[in-house]
Amino acid sequence: MRSASLGLAGALLMAASPGGHQDRPPARVVHVVAERFSFTPSEITIDEGSRVELRITSEDTTHGFRLIGPGDIDVEIPRRRRGEARVVIEIGQPGEYIFECSKLCGAGHGFMRGTLRVRAKAAAP
Amino acid sequence: MFLACEVVASICLTAVPPATGRPATLPVSVQAPRLAQSGTSGSSNAPQSGPVSGYMDFHFSKPTDGPGVIDFHRFVLLFSHRFSDRLRFVGELELEHAVVEGLEPGGELELEQAYVDFLIRPEINFRAGMILAPVGIINERHEPPVFHGVERPFVDTVIIPTTWFDAGAGVHGSLGRGFRYRLYAMAPLDATELRAEEGLRGAAQHGSEAQVRNVGWTGRLEYVGVRGLQTGVSFWRGNTGFNTPNFDTSVGLFELDARFSRGRFEARGQHAHVFIGGAGELNDAVGRTTGVNPNIADQLRGSYVEAAYRVLPARFPHDAAVFVRYEDFDTQFRMPAGFVKLPQFDRDAWVVGATYWVDPDVAIKFDYSHVRSKSTVVPAPRSINVGLGWWF
Repeated sequence: MRSASLGLAGALLMAASPGGHQDRPPARVVHVVAERFSFTPSEITIDEGSRVELRITSEDTTHGFRLIGPGDIDVEIPRRRRGEARVVIEIGQPGEYIFECSKLCGAGHGFMRGTLRVRAKAAAP
Repeated sequence: MFLACEVVASICLTAVPPATGRPATLPVSVQAPRLAQSGTSGSSNAPQSGPVSGYMDFHFSKPTDGPGVIDFHRFVLLFSHRFSDRLRFVGELELEHAVVEGLEPGGELELEQAYVDFLIRPEINFRAGMILAPVGIINERHEPPVFHGVERPFVDTVIIPTTWFDAGAGVHGSLGRGFRYRLYAMAPLDATELRAEEGLRGAAQHGSEAQVRNVGWTGRLEYVGVRGLQTGVSFWRGNTGFNTPNFDTSVGLFELDARFSRGRFEARGQHAHVFIGGAGELNDAVGRTTGVNPNIADQLRGSYVEAAYRVLPARFPHDAAVFVRYEDFDTQFRMPAGFVKLPQFDRDAWVVGATYWVDPDVAIKFDYSHVRSKSTVVPAPRSINVGLGWWF
């Protein structure tokens, strides 16, 4: 029941997506582990314009993954042994972006932050 | 088995136009429940989050030499609010032992955290309010499902006085490559509340009209750059003599800890060493004032190591672990000249037991705790403990 209804919602959202971004597979997959109270790795570097998939699992409770800035991405990371969250990012603007746990997860929740660095492509010779 | 990857969305985001000819859109796709939609997925097994979070801790303990005790030890509510991306509030309110009555011994109602974070840069952020001392494994990471044993380790009770909180302010941030730090100034400890048996346990002022003639400095440097490994060193240093104006007393604490997990195996260890300056004068002064010599030590020391093994394969929806912990702790490790060390405070303990998670956030715990001391007169406690702890 859950899969069917959400599958339909997903299909509609995919159909509404511009540019067919779902068709192109990510060039790189980064596995991220969320645990009270850190992300590992907490620093992720990607290239400008490259398509990267973050596969985020939790070692304990439900966490959130919120990427501050680009699109206000804010997803739930399921609890240990309950699956993973996947976020595909493709950012065309170099810079540093902060990600943080957006689901109150315990006394040290405020320390659960990380940095996504988008590296500029080397200028063509 | 639950699958979280059912919502598939693709969002084309407009960013600030770059200065150069780079694309102005940031395509991002997500395969996970969006937090804004959590609780609306229709699954009866999905966690349903409310506006507050918290944890509870419910125990039954049976000492070998006394009657069993049942205690709703902790009822804790946590709150958070994000004013903006750079400004947020976190609060933690705790009721211990279920009941608080005026002028009666028993429960405590404590404001353990209530701070505002000013998030400036990853390297440096500012925090002020009621904050946790960043010392040891348990003080900042004490939700019942994340540690083994019905009660917290003895070292985290009588050497590091968890939960150690007070009013203060400071900075925290990331230094890169997995290193991060915190450095706070906090209200000092009160030397007249130090105890021979429980060390620093009653000495924090807890931000309640706290005397700040002196300031306590505390900090932690930790490394979280490798999956499965967390290590840290921390300290506390401050004068404590605002209630003993005729002489100076101080407390210094040094601590180091590590946690490791790989596959089903988990291990952790911690060592803490406390130095009390002016303990001899303090003992003399308190003895003259109250008629009872508190017999405070120059130094306190405690360590523990713990190993655990997760016994259920990953395909099981539930999880279970067995563990063993050895602790060695002495609240009178070194005495000031002229004061006698009491052997009943030189203790060690074996704690063996199991944790069964019926849900990642709900743990049923069982352990047997055997404390030993160097005393041949004062018996050390042994107990069987059963607990239920949960996070929501």
